Amino acid sequence: MAATWIVLAVVVVLVLWGTAVFNRLVQRRNRIANAFAQIDVQLKRRYDLIPNLVEVAKRYLTHEAATLEAVTRARAAAVGAAAVARAHPVDASAVNTLALAEQELGGSMGRLMVVAESYPELKADATMQSLGEELASTENRIGFARQAYNDEVLEYNDAAAQFPALVAARVFGFGPAAMLQSTQGAHEREAPRLAF
Amino acid sequence: MRFFELQDAARGETLRLLALFALAVAATVLGVHLALALCWWALTLVSPFALEFPRLFFQVNVGVTLLLILGGWWIETSNLQDAGGAERLARRVGARESRPGVAHAEQRLCNIVDEVCIAAHMPRPMVMVMPRHQAINAFATGWDEDDAVVAVTQGALDLLTRDELQGMVAHECSHIHEGDTRLNMQLAGMVFGLELVWGFGDALRERGGIAVLFGSAIMAMGSVGWYAGRALQASVSRQREFLADARAVQWTRSRDGLGGVLRKALTQRQEAHAMPSDPAWPATVQHLLLLGQLAERGGWFDAHPPLALRIRRIYGRSMPALPLERPGAVTWA
Repeated sequence: MAATWIVLAVVVVLVLWGTAVFNRLVQRRNRIANAFAQIDVQLKRRYDLIPNLVEVAKRYLTHEAATLEAVTRARAAAVGAAAVARAHPVDASAVNTLALAEQELGGSMGRLMVVAESYPELKADATMQSLGEELASTENRIGFARQAYNDEVLEYNDAAAQFPALVAARVFGFGPAAMLQSTQGAHEREAPRLAF
Repeated sequence: MRFFELQDAARGETLRLLALFALAVAATVLGVHLALALCWWALTLVSPFALEFPRLFFQVNVGVTLLLILGGWWIETSNLQDAGGAERLARRVGARESRPGVAHAEQRLCNIVDEVCIAAHMPRPMVMVMPRHQAINAFATGWDEDDAVVAVTQGALDLLTRDELQGMVAHECSHIHEGDTRLNMQLAGMVFGLELVWGFGDALRERGGIAVLFGSAIMAMGSVGWYAGRALQASVSRQREFLADARAVQWTRSRDGLGGVLRKALTQRQEAHAMPSDPAWPATVQHLLLLGQLAERGGWFDAHPPLALRIRRIYGRSMPALPLERPGAVTWA
């Protein structure tokens, strides 16, 4: 009789513990998904900022139409590639195309900044300064969003791979999550840099 | 990845200190009983006729002491909570809401808070500025993540670079993220409860006669408990500062951000006599500040660790102070 009660108690404890581990892992996995969405939000923020920046620059850079044109074109390509990548997140070639488009955008923004360097009126423009701050902040946000994603993955992997939670994670099929590698070349990792 | 180790160390130390705090409260309760028993026993020695211990002596002593401590804790925590949310506290110190649309520096500050909140994965607190304070400082307060304020002095906006401001904001966001205000409020409540034990003894002494003896016994035990409580509360607070420093390095992945702030604070302290004097900080926010009061004793009751020690923890070695200069023109990079 006592043995039955002991077995029953062990089973109840195991079920409670399993539920707790399961819920914790689900919560962590959802946080990873949310962190990934954040990156997308910040990339979009950058795409939205660039036309405003080009608009202001146009007023001063009357002889640099080609440079501005290149930025606008690169942005459009990046927006298109991002939409494709969002629709097929596991497709390696879509992600690759996005990485290339982002690289192109970064390069053309860099050229615009170099050109802007020789236009003091543009640098003194209050709107331009404000947009510059927004752009700098957006670069930080993209970096931090990637970092937050990796931090969440680390916490999830730690939670799922440590004994004894590991047993429950295996039973429920929680595999390890992958960290974001930098998809960008060293050239593009350098944010558009300009001192006003 | 040293910052993860430092965080674990600070968390472990906090738990150890909280256990000690519980022990101190229990010791005070028992100590009051033992001291009273001792007094009674001394009384039986001098008494001309036989004296029995009163009925329920232990139960009443422990019960009354616990009532004082828990009652004091309840009064103090509800007092602190009734004092209003984070915003009211900040306004009383002279903070106003930031105006990102008006001043470039405040636009930058609001952006930085957004960035750090992305890195920390937490909701955005309210951003406030203290325009009358010319020294570098900041504080964060709030009972939970949804009602929290980060307030920064004008001096911090003027004298820090963008990266340093980011480190400072990250430190403050850690206090919100880790619930340090709430923890400190609970400890302050318990300390007030211990103070009530002391006060009860004092009140008893005023009755005169034999009560002086018992009152003094309660007072002695209460004051020991009170001092222990205050020292432990301050130690917990210091560990939370270390935790927030390590968090700031984790979120910004930069030692020079917060490190720069602390190194400039070193200079600020050396040149304190030459700086314009700021409005004084009321006692309610002193333990919340990023940088403790200028005079630093490194004592048991300080809520902040010494600056040099914090710098050494961040860099792994001592670093020289940084000059206080305005970071000239606006840069964006």
